[in-house]
This record gives sequence, structure tokens and C-alpha cells, in this order.
Amino acid sequence: MEYGTIFDIKQFAVFDGPGMRQTVFLKGCPLHCSWCHNPEGQSSRPQLMVSYASCTHCDACKKVCPSPDRCIACGTCIYVCPLNLRHIVGEYLSSEELERRIRKDADFYKRNGGGVTFSGGEPLFQSTFLIETLKRLRDMNRAIETSGYTEPEIYKEVYENLDFVIQDIKIFNSEEHKRHIGVDNRNILENARYLRDGDKPFVIRIPLIPGVTDTKENYEEISSFLSGSKNLVRVELLPYLKVAGAKYGMIGRDYDPRDFNPDDVPIVNHKVFEEKNIRSIKL
Amino acid sequence: MMSERIKDMKRFFVEEKKQKGTRKKARDPYELARAFEKARTPDVDRAAERLCTVLDRETPVVYPFEKIAFTRTEVTIPEIFTESEMETLSKKYHIHEKGDVSNISVDYSMLLSTSFKDKIVELEGYIAGCGDEGKKHYWTLQIRILNSVLSLMSRYVEKAREVGNEVVEKTVAHLLSSKPETLLEAMQMMRIIHFTMWAGRNYHNTLGHLDRYLYPFYAHDISKGILSRDSALDLLEEFFLSFNRDSDLYPGMQQGDNGQSLVLGGYDEDGNDTYSDFSELCLLASLDLRLIDPKINLRVSKRTPLERYVLGTHMTKQGLGFPQYSNDDVVIPGLENLGYDKEDAASYVVAACWEFIIPGKAMDIPNLEALSFAGAVRRATVENLSSSRTYDEFLAAVDKTIEEDVEKIISSLKPVYIFPSPFLSLMMEGSTENAKDISLGAKYNNYGIHGSGIATAVDSVMAVKKFVFENGEVTGDEMIKAIESDFENDKILGNRLRYDKDKFGNDTPETNEIADHLLSVFHSALQGRRNDRGGIFRAGTGSAMYYIWHSADMGATPDGRHKGEVIPANYSPSLFTKVNGPVSIIKSFAYPDLKKVINGGPLTIEMHDSIFRNDESIEKVARLIKEYIDLGGHQLQINTVNKDTLLDAQIHPEKYRNLIVRVWGWSGYFVELDKCYQDHIIKRIELTV
Repeated sequence: MEYGTIFDIKQFAVFDGPGMRQTVFLKGCPLHCSWCHNPEGQSSRPQLMVSYASCTHCDACKKVCPSPDRCIACGTCIYVCPLNLRHIVGEYLSSEELERRIRKDADFYKRNGGGVTFSGGEPLFQSTFLIETLKRLRDMNRAIETSGYTEPEIYKEVYENLDFVIQDIKIFNSEEHKRHIGVDNRNILENARYLRDGDKPFVIRIPLIPGVTDTKENYEEISSFLSGSKNLVRVELLPYLKVAGAKYGMIGRDYDPRDFNPDDVPIVNHKVFEEKNIRSIKL
Repeated sequence: MMSERIKDMKRFFVEEKKQKGTRKKARDPYELARAFEKARTPDVDRAAERLCTVLDRETPVVYPFEKIAFTRTEVTIPEIFTESEMETLSKKYHIHEKGDVSNISVDYSMLLSTSFKDKIVELEGYIAGCGDEGKKHYWTLQIRILNSVLSLMSRYVEKAREVGNEVVEKTVAHLLSSKPETLLEAMQMMRIIHFTMWAGRNYHNTLGHLDRYLYPFYAHDISKGILSRDSALDLLEEFFLSFNRDSDLYPGMQQGDNGQSLVLGGYDEDGNDTYSDFSELCLLASLDLRLIDPKINLRVSKRTPLERYVLGTHMTKQGLGFPQYSNDDVVIPGLENLGYDKEDAASYVVAACWEFIIPGKAMDIPNLEALSFAGAVRRATVENLSSSRTYDEFLAAVDKTIEEDVEKIISSLKPVYIFPSPFLSLMMEGSTENAKDISLGAKYNNYGIHGSGIATAVDSVMAVKKFVFENGEVTGDEMIKAIESDFENDKILGNRLRYDKDKFGNDTPETNEIADHLLSVFHSALQGRRNDRGGIFRAGTGSAMYYIWHSADMGATPDGRHKGEVIPANYSPSLFTKVNGPVSIIKSFAYPDLKKVINGGPLTIEMHDSIFRNDESIEKVARLIKEYIDLGGHQLQINTVNKDTLLDAQIHPEKYRNLIVRVWGWSGYFVELDKCYQDHIIKRIELTV
């Protein structure tokens, strides 16, 4: 039995694939995009998350902390907080238990044209757990939201167990990719090619980061790459929102959008896709 | 899209409120009452005299751009009893709210199918054929009122001629002698009727099945080529605007709580869907106008197509807090179980907020009193938990407490006295021909008892079950001590109880069962009881303003709620519950047998405005609503909210004059609400999807 770490199951997801869906967030991501708005999904370990904004500094948590120098995510402080501002994000569980939770409302989603979507973090980062869970849910509509960053063999195995794919292409140029995201995009593009030429419906998402991904070259390279793909449902453009930084402080990190200016408004370019007969929408 | 004319009218009446310029000064409200007291005038005469006085004082106002006239200029509606008379009456009787006939649904078609003049002829006929002086006198009073209406209409005709508004002149002149034929005439007559109702201090004057009783006029105009669908929509928008002209003069708990609710669609007595092209126009008009009045209710069922929910969701997206949905599959059998005849049950509408009522046949008082579910569970805990050896014993004590509280409510009720309303009686079945004023009763004379704080009650019972009887984390005595001291000495326990996930709304089998059980106990406690008018009592899941009143004095509860902390409005999860999501909420709240609590009281869900981003996501929201109905939910309202917007609106109200929110069963302007209601809405948003 495989075990994995999740950090949320969101009900009634309306932007994560066809129909009404539930989205499971798997914890841990090999990429470190400086614009990430789910920073609690990056580390694969359980973490303490605190809503400092509402904190009244009563210090009840400090009084019970057994490890004041370094948080060990033991959870001792959770119930002493009168405002319930402290949570452990990340829960370690078996694929069987995860299946049980997903199945609870599965009929509800099924009759509304939907199913389950695995997001993250990066769902492919826990590929054996993901594959085992997907195999348990063969009767459901299964989707993932992924960066596509994994070995091609792994990607293919996951792909076999999916009905719908939502995949990012952030930066097409490999040097730029390495510069901003810290890793090579060779596998990402190879997997994207496999997706593009495959037989399953898919959506490509582009996070619009001012000056990073919304450049003319990037738009053109991505749209050329996708041109002619028969199973591409549409391209979704996700404009960067300044609130993306909101959760960093809650896990004790500084928000450091080092390679772009968060106050800039990203360029939304539908025309480049229109010219290639690709449908695009802004989310 | 609104036409330029409608846009201008909206600006004139709603934004700039220029009609206020024609209003007269306030008068001494007791001037008439003192004269009545001195002359020992009978109550029916007082009611008629008051209405005639207001109508006679009215000065016609006709704007050159309008097609539908009648704007109030009299600010004061006089009292009919002096303060000392009221004191005497209150000792002997239960005076409900202001005392006037309110919150019922009249059958407008009883006047729309005739003319005021022919109505007078009908009444004269009754007088001629009757020897009973009392009855004759009653009909004479009704004739007097109708003559005052006609006289005001004549003054409107003159005024319209003076300002050169030929449409108003012609329409009102037609109505002086004839019944309405066209949609415009029917709407003008409706406007006059509604205007007259408010002028007699009747309030929460609901609109009922507007799409049914105006439909014949619409069909007439379309078939004769008088109106196109577009011009009918334009007219309907002007008609809807008329409900916002004088609404600040209407009595209510808060600005916006004026009961101008209408109901669209629904089964007829043969089970046919009555939703028509005209019903759709009503939705479109409201969608265009984005105004809080009239408030839109949609009757739906398992057979309602998804498209109708989609259109409704587009309206929800506007942030108006409506449409409110009610489920025919639950409400109709529920009403039948209470003894309403089949065809009457099928014709149900909502009163001001959500209370189900039969148009033209019911003098029900659906909001007479309220049981505090949370208060009952708290009392059972304090008085019986110590001695309860098992959970079943504790639950039996809860049941007994609810029964006692219900008994207390019923036995403390004095006979109800309602001020006569000879004008409304013209539109109630059986009233006019028998000269029996509607205030004395109708076919149905049932009283509704709200049930506030069901979620707090369920969560408290669950907390006792889990923490005292299952995991034994606390003893019964410790629990009592904890709530009596407001968790002062055991804050961690308070937090554990408060933030536990076993709460109503999280779709756990146990909480769902407890909810069904408590609602059923409430229903059973009222079964077989008769009120002073021979009617029955109806249990409900509504709270009206009781959610504020019932929570203010209540001590801490076993669910971790603090002393004095607010409970949720209506049928909704507790405000600090961390709910798993909307699917859990819907499954939980559709679980209990809601046919038993058919006094009404909707589940209220708040949704963040970003979820309505595109047509695809709007359809998914529509499906979610349809699920609640298909799963057996009785009533639902959805608020579109953005917490940041509301917080900013508290600081800069001047920037948010048009921000609309759903309060408890009606939509109002956020900045016009008292702060406690504003704060409650902001808290509720924590549950936002």
C-alpha cells in the first residue's frame, strides 16, 4: 500500500476540469516558482500554518510550545489558540483512505458531469501514490493539474490513468525557464508533446507573470507549439494576482517575488491564439 | 438592457430619489385616534376612515416620462388607536407587531378582474339584499373606501391632463369606469391597489403569483399586437421600479424589509408547470434593473430544467441575494400534511420573506413567535446532563425541554387582535360576500413558530454525545461548569468544542440524524394544538430577527459558542464551523425531513463573487442549487459576497450606496443596515465557498 501527503480536499471545484469536481491537493513540489500562490504545497512535510493577520498576541501558543527554537509541527499549540488560527497543513495517509474520502461524494460529482482532480504542489512528485490512487478510481472522471515536471516514463504511466489533463506551460525557452524556475524544461516539454499528440482532452494553462511569461516570444512559442493539436480544449490564462503572496507569512516564510514586479499588470494576449484557431480564456 | 427611459427613471427614483421633493410634512400621528377615542368609533370604522383620510389628503403627482403613475406624498399614516387605548388592548390581546393586517398574500385577481366601479355595484347589491344592519354598514364602509380611491384617480386624470401625460391620463381614465384590458392598465390598477394597501398601513404587502395574475393581460397584448416581448419588458421594468418609489416610507424591521416579494412558476393543482414566457420576462426585468424590490422567488421542483436555475444564478451573480428558491416537491406535501387542501397547497406563495402562505385564503400569522432550539438544548444541558446516565437519557431530556418551551410559547399566547382592513378584505375569499373582515379570520388561520439556531443546537447535542458520553473527555458536571463559566477556567476545552469538525453542515451521519430528530420533536410538539382562531401551529426553520434576540442573552453552549455570541440566521451552519464545503452543507441540510417544518426558513449559502467568473462556472453553481432541491431541501437563498468589499463599505459607506446583501429573508442595502446586522453578515462570510 502506498502512502502520500495531501494538504486539502476542496469541494465544488469549478475551475479544475469538466463538470463539478473535488480537487485533492498533494503536498510537495520540485519547482520553486517565485510567484507560487500555494507555498504550503511546496514542502512535502507537514507544516504549521498560522493566520497571523487575526492574531491578538495573547501568547497562549508560546506558553505551551515544546520546541520554541524550531517548529517541529507537533500540533501542541493548535487547540490553545482561542481563534483557531493555527493548523497543521499536510496529512499522511494511505491510498485506501484517500479513496474512501474521495468516494464519499463521488456520486454527487459524477451526476454533475465531473469527478476528481489531483493538484498540488505537484501531484507527479508523489507519482507512485498518485498512480495507485488513480487506479483505485477507474470508474471516476480523473484529472490532474500539473507542471508536467517528471520523467517521461512516469508521466506516461500517470497519463494512462487519466481522463483529462490540465497542464502548465510556463516558459517555453529553456534558458529562461532555468533562470526563473531553477530547473531544466526538457522533460516538461517532452511530456507536453506527449500530451499534445495524445488522445485525451487537455487544457494548457499559462500563469501570466509580468515580464516573465507574458512576453511576445513566450506567447508565440507556446501557441506555435500547440497549433493543430486536436484534443486541446483551450488555453487558460491566469493573470498574476498580488494576493498570491498572502500565504507565505502563514508558514513563516517571506514572500520574495525576486524576478518580476508584482505591481505590474500582466499582458493578456488572446490574439496570438486566435490566429492559430486555439480557444483561449482568462481565468 | 434597460432603455434610456428606464435608466433615467431609475436614476430619478432610486439614485437621486427626486420623488421625495413632492412629499408633505409629517403630521401628528394620533390626531385621528384621539377623535375616534372621544367618539368611541368602532374599529372597522376607524380603519376605513383612516384610509379614506389618507387617500383624500393625497395630492396627485404625474411625471411627464412615466406610463404608470401614483406616488405617495403623505408621509404620515395616522394611528387608529391612542396610546392609552393600545395599552388597554395589549393587556387583553396579543397585538402582533404593529397590529395591522400584514404579511399575507391577497388575491389581486379579485379586483383585477373587475373595475372599482363594478365592485361598488356588487357591494350595493349585497346591501340591497340583506337585512343585517351590521353587514350593511361594513359594505357601506368598503364603498366609501372605493369612492375615495376613485376620487383620487379622478384627480390623477386631471393632473395628467395638466402636465400633458396622455398615457397616464388615458389609462387612469379607463380604469375609472372599466376593468383593465391591457397589461399597462392591469399594472396601473395593481399600482393603485398596492398604493392603497400601504396607505391603510397594511404592510409586508406581498405580490404573490404576479406571473399568473398578470399573464392574461400580457397574452392579450401580445396576441393583439399591442406589445412586443421587448416593449412588454420595458413596461415590466417600469412597473418593478414603482415598488421602489415609496418604499422608504414602508414599515419594516430594517430598511429593505418591506415584504414586496413575488413568486414565479411552480406546479398548479394538476401538477402542471406554470412557468411562462411572462415569468421569464419577470426574471429578465429584475436582472436588468438590479433593484431590491420586488424580491424574486422561484418555485422549483425535481422537474425544473437546469436552464431556469442558470438564469436564476445569473441573477444571484448580480449580488441581489435573490432569487430565493422553494421546492414544490417538499412544500406542497408539507402543507397538505398540515391540513391545507390540495389545490390551496399547490397555490402557495411566500409571505414577506420565506413563510409559505396561500394567496386569498389565509390569514395565517407565520411569524408569531419563535422557539430557541439552542436555548432549549442549553437548558437541558444545565438542568439534566448531570443526572443523565446515557446519551439517550440526555437526548430525551432535550426533547422534553423543547416540548416544555413550545408549551410555554403556546400557553402564554393571548388571543390575537388584528386591526380591521376592509380594503384588503375585498381581495380575500369569503370576506366580502359575508361582510366578515379579513382581520377576523379566513379559511386558514394558522400560526407559525420559527425555530432559531438549529445548527447551534445540533452541534451542542453532538458535542455532549462525543465529549461526555463517547470519548469521556469531560464529565457532565465539567461540561455544565464550562458553559456556565463561559469556558473561563477551561479555555482549551472551549476551543476543542468550538473547532471540532463534527458539526451540522459537515455531512456526518450523526449530526444529520440529530438535526432530523430535533426538527421532528419541534413539529410533534406543535401537532394537534389549536390556536385561539381555530387554526393550527406550524413549525419552521426560519429565524427572522430572532437570531439576534435569542443569542444576546444566552449563555455559552456545549458547541463552544461563547456567551452572547450570535447564532446563525435561519437554517444555516454555525458561524464558526469550519465546513468542508458546499457539497457537505447541501447534503447535511437536505437530510432532515423538511416537510415537517414547512413554516419555512431557508438554507443560506454565501458564495464568493469570483465563483461566478464565466458561464461554465455559473452553470456549475446552478447545478449545485438544483442538487439541494433534488435532494429534498425546502428553501434556499444564496448571497454573493466579497468580504473585503463589505469591510470597506463599513468604513466608506458613501462609496457603497448600492451594495445589496441578503439579510434574513430579504435583500437590503448594506450601508442602511444597523451595525449588528452588518457584522453578522461579515461573520457569515467566513463560510464562503
